[in-house]
Amino acid sequence: MTSYIVRRLFATLPVMAVVALFVFFLLRFAPGDPAAIIAGDDATAESIAAVRAKLGLDRPMVEQFVVWVGQLLQGDMGVSIFSNLAVTRLIAQRLEPTVALTLSTLFVAVVLAVPIGVVAAWKARKLVDRLAMAFAVLGFAMPTFVLAYILIYFFAVQWQLLPVQGYAPIKQGFWPFVESLILPSVALGITYMALIARITRASMLEVLAQDYIRTANSKGLATDRVLLLHALKNAAVPIVTVIGIGIALLISGVVITETVFNIPGLGRLTVDAVLKRDYPVVQGLILVFAGAKVLVNLIIDISYAFLDPRIRY
Amino acid sequence: MAEASILEVRDLHTQFRTLDGIVRAVDGVSFHVARGETLGIVGESGCGKSVTAMSILRLIPPETGRIASGSIKFEGEELTTLSEEEMKRLRGHRISMIFQEPMTSLNPVLTVGTQIAENVVRHLNVPWSAARDRAREMLDLVRIADARRRLDEYPHQLSGGMRQRVMIAMALSCDPQVLIADEPTTALDVTIQAQILDLMIELKEKTGTAIVLITHDLGVVAETTERVVVMYAGRKVEEASVEALFAEPLHPYTRGLMRAIPRLDVEADAAGTRPRLQEIPGLVPILTKPIVGCAFAPRCGFATDRCRSEAPPLVEGGAGHTVACWEVERVRASA
Repeated sequence: MTSYIVRRLFATLPVMAVVALFVFFLLRFAPGDPAAIIAGDDATAESIAAVRAKLGLDRPMVEQFVVWVGQLLQGDMGVSIFSNLAVTRLIAQRLEPTVALTLSTLFVAVVLAVPIGVVAAWKARKLVDRLAMAFAVLGFAMPTFVLAYILIYFFAVQWQLLPVQGYAPIKQGFWPFVESLILPSVALGITYMALIARITRASMLEVLAQDYIRTANSKGLATDRVLLLHALKNAAVPIVTVIGIGIALLISGVVITETVFNIPGLGRLTVDAVLKRDYPVVQGLILVFAGAKVLVNLIIDISYAFLDPRIRY
Repeated sequence: MAEASILEVRDLHTQFRTLDGIVRAVDGVSFHVARGETLGIVGESGCGKSVTAMSILRLIPPETGRIASGSIKFEGEELTTLSEEEMKRLRGHRISMIFQEPMTSLNPVLTVGTQIAENVVRHLNVPWSAARDRAREMLDLVRIADARRRLDEYPHQLSGGMRQRVMIAMALSCDPQVLIADEPTTALDVTIQAQILDLMIELKEKTGTAIVLITHDLGVVAETTERVVVMYAGRKVEEASVEALFAEPLHPYTRGLMRAIPRLDVEADAAGTRPRLQEIPGLVPILTKPIVGCAFAPRCGFATDRCRSEAPPLVEGGAGHTVACWEVERVRASA
């Protein structure tokens, strides 16, 4: 197992290299020029050229790339063109809200989705199942930002139960932190809840038709033990896979939610950096996102071995 | 008879709803099982023998099937009207079951020990540690070597024969009065088949558990059972002690089954050829249409107009030997 993990970690290096290559050149071939933005609306060609030279953007692209990769290998992601702050520091500052939002969204989604899926499969084609699946379709079809505004209107504006927007870091206290996350997590989580609930139902239905479930029933085991141990553990691999895909989608999905709820996370940082063509920041962020996805995939693959004893690495 | 029998099935009808209509999988079957007895239920695929077994434990999936009528009495208690919760207390405890497919009947993600012990914990109200001791004891009993280590193994680490031993250990872990074995050896190698059957008989003698052995294999029936029920198209066509049945089968269907068994004791003729195995002509009837007359009539060489219009009742044809056939005298004379 350890050697497998080590091998997998090494295998991420080429992936990250390709990501770095792509993001670097894609950004530079994309229209827009950070020097022109810095120089201002009525800048002359000379002043723009001066800014370019100062930022090192006038040098050949390959040279710029080599310099950037050289820095990366030393753990340095460069400096923001606009704020002059180190990219690593910018990202570190914005990491907490995004990680908190991703995890709480995932928590909301999984905690709702798995029981819904299990009950729907158990009561397949009955009323509960149909209601649950109708709810899932609705949840999946509803755009996050629409749901976000509906939730804000009722829970924050009308009933004033929760803050309208903003983010309270955990060091300001656990309850304000949780309060600030509830609405965004629900708004963002419903889509994933719908996805995970449907997969849970489908996977459970398949498992419930297996011979070993008949065996479990022939032993007179309690329904909850048959469903939650005998069936769910067998149904878990596809569910965990979808949860993993969900995490990957969430990392990009937080952008809209962070904007609607005014949360200072990586999503907002990304949007701002892209709009300003802040190359080093965008590059750093994309690398962090890619690294997170690769890591999540690895964790999912490892979890299979714990769920199914037949899977060994 | 009623006093001695532990399980009594009377006029059982089990039906399934399908797109083609209602399938009468079990259509008025009656039999009883005496304490500690081994009863064989024989018939072709689709004759309703497995559905009969599932009906006794009330494991017919309610979405598609139901026990339409009839009575199943276990130790004098009517099972068809028992609540689901009461049924659960019975299953795996006083009546347990093993299945045809040892490869898929065990849960692949739970250890063997867990799967045996959970049955004990559920029904005997003992702590897990005691249940695990019991599980190890049961593995010893079904002669799985190195039981302590095997407890922590998963089904995929065991061979087919060992898995069926585990199923037997699980089924017998709470000392049931009745063990229903649905084709327990069909999926196994011939050598393993004999071992499993011997084991079941040996354990039966040790524990006094009655066995209902469901099979299509008359060889298995001859070796292991005391009494046999022959089923055809959801109905019982013949019942006899195993000796009487093999000495003189009375139903044309039973005779057909026996002629379909390969035999080594038949002399080859001068040309060195042995008589061809005789199959029963025709197919099992479609059960969605109500069957008029004897279900076997379309495939039967003795059939008359009466057979095709009127269902034959079960009649006594000798000591405890009953048969449902209008032409039983002609059949008897033909042998």
